[in-house]
Amino acid sequence: MKIERFGEQGIRIIFGAAMDEETAESVRRFFLYVRSLKITGLIDIIPSFTSCLIHFDRDHVEYDDMSAFLAGTEDGWKKMLLPEVQRIEIPVRYGGDYGPDMDFVCSYSGLSSEEVIEIHSAVTYRVYAVGLMPGFPHLGTLDRRIYVPRQETPVLKVPQGSVGIAQFQTGIYPFESPAEWRIIGRTMARLFDPGQAPYSLLNFGDIVRFVRA
Amino acid sequence: MIEVIGPGFLSIIVDRGRYGHGHIGVPSSRELDRFACSMARFLLQNPEDAPVIEVMGNDLRLRFSREVTFAITGARVRATLDDEPLRPWSAHRASEGSILRVREVLEGLRYYIAFSGIIDVAPVMGSRTVNLECKLGGFHGRPLMKGDRILLADLHNPAQLLGVPDTMIPSMCEPHIVRVISGPEADHFTSASVRFLERRTDAALFSATSRLNRTGIRLEGNPIMFKKKAQRSIMSEGILPGTIQIPPDGFPFINLTERTIGDYTRLATVADVDMDRLAHIKPGDSVLLSSIDIKEAERLWRARRDAVSFFCKKQ
Repeated sequence: MKIERFGEQGIRIIFGAAMDEETAESVRRFFLYVRSLKITGLIDIIPSFTSCLIHFDRDHVEYDDMSAFLAGTEDGWKKMLLPEVQRIEIPVRYGGDYGPDMDFVCSYSGLSSEEVIEIHSAVTYRVYAVGLMPGFPHLGTLDRRIYVPRQETPVLKVPQGSVGIAQFQTGIYPFESPAEWRIIGRTMARLFDPGQAPYSLLNFGDIVRFVRA
Repeated sequence: MIEVIGPGFLSIIVDRGRYGHGHIGVPSSRELDRFACSMARFLLQNPEDAPVIEVMGNDLRLRFSREVTFAITGARVRATLDDEPLRPWSAHRASEGSILRVREVLEGLRYYIAFSGIIDVAPVMGSRTVNLECKLGGFHGRPLMKGDRILLADLHNPAQLLGVPDTMIPSMCEPHIVRVISGPEADHFTSASVRFLERRTDAALFSATSRLNRTGIRLEGNPIMFKKKAQRSIMSEGILPGTIQIPPDGFPFINLTERTIGDYTRLATVADVDMDRLAHIKPGDSVLLSSIDIKEAERLWRARRDAVSFFCKKQ
């Protein structure tokens, strides 16, 4: 675990350099442990692929004190008993009006839409980050046979529940929004509900499988 | 009650921000000019979590249906109360039927209107601030429209009508000098294109594009060049308001309040002391980036914080 300052109010805690389960598991441990401590002056903690970003309140705690404290948590999070991850199935309607970029994905990969769907729904994915917008899961690792680049110019509007792929990730748009990922399907599952804790259907570390609806 | 007769442009209800949900991608969506908003709260003796209205553009018109004290801070504006000119950054008393009109923005971009009461909208996930993308918080998750009625709770009338002295009102005109601290991927760029990060005497001049909103500000100018073998993007990682990201095309993007993670390389972070300035950058404005180290940034922040608390105590 490496600790680096990030601007005046940020601290990066770095656990590795690549998208892999071992690194993500350390990130998850650290995130859950530090969150459970309810530290004064800690505003937010943002876990992602290889690191956690700590946002601290510089008017209530000094950087030196906060980073020393975080460095001292290593024993705690390494020994922590982890709660089970959630395993969630997401029903998807693939192709047609639900997946306007399916044709692009087929021609880019040289596969039929049947094969693309088969590959996309064959494996389980891990939530490596939630963000871009509330509840948006970054899921990995996508099979390289259906690797596609992102849209160079974002599509102005995709509907809520759009399931996209880009590079080695797949994700779901929780709200109608502009999109850079290639949309291959849509789910009716509600990814984010601001009226009901815990708000987000998916959390860092959860395991997801897409099933044909 | 206050009735919106003319909504201005993109008038929204904001507060100090929605926190504690960064791990599920919920951004702070906070007020952009924090100094202007704290002064507005101070003038009206409102608590720290009181929301305010953030407005862009001319011709905001509000009608008061009872006596309320209010203040306008942020961008310098020409405003009238029942056709009488009024001084911004000061508390004023409106009586029943009074009409407040902001006629023109003279300097800066966003101005704030606060009342001697709490704007009565329901908190969502711990804050009243609006997240426009998700249509949550604020006034029904949307900008104010003609005919909207804003209710105030905990209405009070401050005994004294205070004002912020001119010397404390920051400049909001261009060029915007924005001091920055070097970021995690600063070594992805050629030293020629980021000389301003290494040499304190250098600065990099950009101009703001029209791609500018609460999510961020896109700059244009001489692009920041990636080193030959450097990665042009990163695996998504946490970002904060003020993080300056460089997309593959080399034109800086200053993150504001609507994103928690990003996958563009992070060149630098805006010093807290200059964060409020970002609220006032308009399309076409020139923006000068210059670098300071973290110690200097901290010293500047403390000096400003002390000056503000000294002023507030003195009143």
